[in-house]
Amino acid sequence: MRYAVIGVALALAVGVRLWRRRRTQPGGYRLAAIGQVGGVTGLVAEREIRERFRSRMFKVGTGIVLLVVVAAIVIPVLRKGQHSHQQIGVVGTLPAQARATILAAGASLGIGLTLVPEASTAAAEQDLKAGRVHLVVVDGRRLIVDRAISATDTSAPTLLVRLVATQIGLQNALEAAGLPPDRAAALTHPPPLPVTSMQPARTRGTAQVTAIYGLILLYVLLTQYGTWIMMGVVEEKSSRVVEVLLSTMKPAQLLAGKVIGIGTVALAQASVLVALALILAKAVGSDLLHGSAPLEVMSLAVWLVLGYAFYCWVYAAGGALADRQEHLQTLAFPLQIPILFGYITSITALGSANPSTLIHVLAYLPPTAPFAMSALVADGAVTWWQFVLSAALTLVSTVLVARLAATIYRRAVLRTGARVRVRDVLSRAAA
Amino acid sequence: MSLVLDGLCRSYGEVVALDHLSFSVPAGQVVGFLGPNGAGKTTAMRAVFGLVSLDAGTVTWKAAPVGPAERRRFGYMPEERGLYPGMVVREQVEYLARLHGMTAADAGRATRMWLERVGVAERSESKVEALSLGNQQRVQLATALVHDPEFLVLDEPMSGLDPAGIDAIGAVLAEQAAAGRGVLFSSHQLDLVEHLCESVAIIDRGRLVANGRVDDLATAGSSRLVVRVAGDRDGAWARGLTGVTVSRVEAGAVRLVLDDHTSSQSVLAAAMQAGQVEQFGFERRRLSEVFREAVG
Repeated sequence: MRYAVIGVALALAVGVRLWRRRRTQPGGYRLAAIGQVGGVTGLVAEREIRERFRSRMFKVGTGIVLLVVVAAIVIPVLRKGQHSHQQIGVVGTLPAQARATILAAGASLGIGLTLVPEASTAAAEQDLKAGRVHLVVVDGRRLIVDRAISATDTSAPTLLVRLVATQIGLQNALEAAGLPPDRAAALTHPPPLPVTSMQPARTRGTAQVTAIYGLILLYVLLTQYGTWIMMGVVEEKSSRVVEVLLSTMKPAQLLAGKVIGIGTVALAQASVLVALALILAKAVGSDLLHGSAPLEVMSLAVWLVLGYAFYCWVYAAGGALADRQEHLQTLAFPLQIPILFGYITSITALGSANPSTLIHVLAYLPPTAPFAMSALVADGAVTWWQFVLSAALTLVSTVLVARLAATIYRRAVLRTGARVRVRDVLSRAAA
Repeated sequence: MSLVLDGLCRSYGEVVALDHLSFSVPAGQVVGFLGPNGAGKTTAMRAVFGLVSLDAGTVTWKAAPVGPAERRRFGYMPEERGLYPGMVVREQVEYLARLHGMTAADAGRATRMWLERVGVAERSESKVEALSLGNQQRVQLATALVHDPEFLVLDEPMSGLDPAGIDAIGAVLAEQAAAGRGVLFSSHQLDLVEHLCESVAIIDRGRLVANGRVDDLATAGSSRLVVRVAGDRDGAWARGLTGVTVSRVEAGAVRLVLDDHTSSQSVLAAAMQAGQVEQFGFERRRLSEVFREAVG
């Protein structure tokens, strides 16, 4: 499994290198096709894509998000790997029955065990300190661990120590009471009682784990893409190049080109992230893909697209109101509140068998629907038609928001010198 | 074959930016667009490109309303220069050429030619922000010209340039007009306008206050004479003449402004009576004088 992780990491590094090398060749890639198809809007989109791929902000941002995704998938698996196999040092002789008792204790906790002979107690203590062994059994009479065990610790390795201590103690006591060792051993690990269940096992848990990572990613990406749009609009406004651009096209064409261009980059970045996450999860055997998780992944993908479609216009209008990059902070914050609210409410609602009315309401409001609906899907608390209804509501309001944003953009983007207020732009006199 | 601004009106609340402004720019001419700060020049130029919504009035080119297709064949240099700071110069100019409808190949050729022409060819792979302001301005001019526009609108194209840059732009504008393009450009450097332009339009508070060929404006109105009489360094002979104002006396050369009822012949007679006339000629008004009179 570790080899799989290393393999994926290597493939990734090689891929990035090849991509960079291709990019640095003059005229390395051309997006002329887009430009020819879409007229001026296509040209604007083409420029956005080219400049975005080149920008340092894009490279660094993508790198960070990639690292986070890789870490989120690999670390839990590696940690689980650590616990699922352990070594136990044996000093002196250990009867076959005691040996069997220890292995049985490991099996009952889902931990594979290897017993390694130690030359002396001192050598065993060295191995304990270095972490090579987890536990040392001395002459079948006494156990040594590196750090004292706290009473409240219920992790699997701790339980193993407690179990081994009790079982071997019990076996020693039985032998002391005069039972032959094989009888004593049989009594220390009797065949367990059969357990029957009234309901099948819960499988929703995996979808919820996927949803946690998914919601975090959704939040990070929507905020990031919104910021790209906003900065793109302000860049043109503050450098005044927008006046030259608008002498050749309508504001709506410029805005549409920007949204399409940045949207294409966003989609490409998100696809790479998701593809990497899925491949990596499969390679390292992560839980992310089991049970109903694939459905959740699909839902998250749909809502990433819908969320971008909705928020890109909002951020574009916000950018048109700014005059300089410094205004961005103040303007971006109010736009971020619904995203943050939807994100926090939804992530805390995950795992509840009976989601609150608030979440159900938020799932139909376009600003919060990407998060709330994804959470409901993970909890298995929606039907397909509710999902479709919410998506349709978001699409319809996206059209309305786009029209409003285009109006604000058209009226505000040539007003320079100060921050423009929404009220001024939407008043009759500004028409 | 001209660009016609007809009855343009625009107010922002109480402020009137354009007040029934009408004039035209014929193809093949460089027309200077003059007026004090805040007179409405920039608003009028923006109106040509539909960047200002007008309360009334129309802009036509070759007798048809100016729409998106026409504007794409115009070149524009706005008052506030605008280029993407982080974009490579060549790509920037090519991009704008393509937005004006050129193919990628044509845009590449024209960009090379114009960057050479405005003297920034060796910086064509630099980012715009790495260039000096003067060079950025040259790039801006290249973006206005790269698509071989039929009509040029340049808002203060000379401001911020050194004399060599001013000469370069002047030569380009003259060449464009000679090739049959119309050029409208605004400037506060009146000597330059006088030198470059065939005609001017002067506006004040959104209204047209003077318009016509520079020659006509310079010779219109009251006649101006320069007269030198031997032995009279102070121009004493001219004082007291009726209908005549002495505007300046310089080493015996007297500059006179005649009112409408006074003929130059009567002044000549008075001068000849005073002594031997060494110099007698009509004088043109400088454009700066025309301007000051027009905007009062």
